[in-house]
Amino acid sequence: MTRVRVTAPRSAARPVTDTREAAEESDAGQVFVRSLIRSQLRLALVVGGGFLLILCAFPLLLEAAPGLADTRVAGIPFDWLLLGAGIYPVMALSAWLFIRTAARNEARYRDLAEDK
Amino acid sequence: MNPAVSPAVGVAALAVVSLATAVIGFYGLRISRTTGDFYVASRTVRPWWNASAIGGEYLSAASFLGVAGLILLSGTDALWFPVGYTAGYLMLLLFVAAPLRRSGAYTIPDFTEARLDSRAVRRVTSLAVVVVGWLYIVPQLQGAALTIRITTGLPSWVGSVAVVVVVCLTVVAGGMRSITFVQAFQYWLKLTALAVPAVFIAFVLAGNGSPAIAPASINPTGLAPAGPYQNISLLVALLFGTLGLPHVLVRFYTNPDGQSARRTTLIVLGLLSVFYLLPTAYGLAARMFAPGLARSGQADAVVLLLPAQLIGGTAGDLLSALVVAGAFAAFLSTTSGLVVSLAGVISQDVLGGGVRGFRLAAVISVVVPLGFAFMTDSLALAGSVGLVFAFTASTVCPVLLLGIWWRGLTDAGAIAGMVTGGLLCGGAMIYSAALGGAGTPFWVAQPAAWTVPAAFAVMVLVSRATKGRVPKTMSRVMTRLHTPERPLVTDR
Repeated sequence: MTRVRVTAPRSAARPVTDTREAAEESDAGQVFVRSLIRSQLRLALVVGGGFLLILCAFPLLLEAAPGLADTRVAGIPFDWLLLGAGIYPVMALSAWLFIRTAARNEARYRDLAEDK
Repeated sequence: MNPAVSPAVGVAALAVVSLATAVIGFYGLRISRTTGDFYVASRTVRPWWNASAIGGEYLSAASFLGVAGLILLSGTDALWFPVGYTAGYLMLLLFVAAPLRRSGAYTIPDFTEARLDSRAVRRVTSLAVVVVGWLYIVPQLQGAALTIRITTGLPSWVGSVAVVVVVCLTVVAGGMRSITFVQAFQYWLKLTALAVPAVFIAFVLAGNGSPAIAPASINPTGLAPAGPYQNISLLVALLFGTLGLPHVLVRFYTNPDGQSARRTTLIVLGLLSVFYLLPTAYGLAARMFAPGLARSGQADAVVLLLPAQLIGGTAGDLLSALVVAGAFAAFLSTTSGLVVSLAGVISQDVLGGGVRGFRLAAVISVVVPLGFAFMTDSLALAGSVGLVFAFTASTVCPVLLLGIWWRGLTDAGAIAGMVTGGLLCGGAMIYSAALGGAGTPFWVAQPAAWTVPAAFAVMVLVSRATKGRVPKTMSRVMTRLHTPERPLVTDR
């Protein structure tokens, strides 16, 4: 059997239409693009900053209330539970919020860009 | 030293994992034909598969063995490792995932070349990626050597060589498509391998009501605890280092579009969170019930030794075999992921692309670190991987973040920043290796807190000074990175 190597097909997910790219490169199109990038960056910074604040608050909380670290929940020390397990739901929640809002920003951009 | 587990058990576990990896790899070969298949699986991998594969690839020797070992040694301070390893994916999701997928590039050098329209930037990025990959493969091979020595009593090099051979065979045979299946399988194998013994240990400890030998807050080694600087610097390295890992980023090109790249990352976050509960539990259990493991210098092997020590008998042997299998899955998956992404870079930049160049490049990219692994001794696994993250955060991460979000980045700025970050961080790594563990000042041992800002600062300042070099294609590329793909008709 001979194998014939062909180049990979272009992904169907991005059928680049020339008219769309042209519209996006016009001055008006660029205004929408810039505002989309700004809102996505602001969103990323807010979510990332919020998460880091909570992350830093955990050890500070343990410092501030020394009794907490000695409390046990089902035999496991509370400081271990907080840092070893409690942080993960915070991460997942931040990620979920970000994805929802980022998709919403993109939908708004699409409406604006296509209504023009 | 007597092996902790009966040698036959260790060898059998190694053989089964290698065989399963090879079989799934060959299964993938049958459906992998084109250059595109070899590099990025034709970009048609579903989010769950892809997320399992990312998890499988990411959870390395450092996660499987090193995290529990460090927790045994340093307690709650070491909890920052699993937290940082996972939170890195949050940063990846926020700043990189969707734009990188939309860039349409195959590798990180492809991305920087397209964004900055410069061959020179491409070469510097390729160099950084290859260094990161090689540095990262070394601890995997050292982990394999440690596992083989502890569990079977065979000489250490057998472990490293076994990993290299299996990885070469699977990568050369199937490329990324088969790797995707292999990696996804290996995530679930790793999770099972830690979860089942953990459940048994929990039942045994709860059942016989044996009291803890030591409190969780014990300091079994007498080493000074890490100060706030070390913890912050470590977090900087882990949060920003994940963004730039070549084997993680190449996975994002296999998503169909930007939004599915985000969904994949969310699933990865979940998978990692679940996984990291286990090494944390092992570390805590070892601290409370077997603190002796820390003193004998076997901390990195705690995950391998704990089941036999706490349960014993045939059940202990079988559980140990499962853990050994999981450990090898970790070495194999991370190494093969790194080899695929390195081979992609080396073959495109040095060997002119094509399937044959890819195969040759794959062999090159794993044999060089094997030499390093033979020459150097294993440090604490999680610690040495932490340094690789620091290096990535100081080189690849700034060019990615600024390239995606800042219109003003120029090729001169990108090169200056990467070179600065690489020299500072690489210098700190060499300097601390030369001084040895105890004599190193703390700010050299954990360099990320100053090398990462330095790389960013140089990149921004030099770009400002060379404003005229902003490429003409910039606004078209930025548009492509950030605008959503046109939805398919069925989506509307």
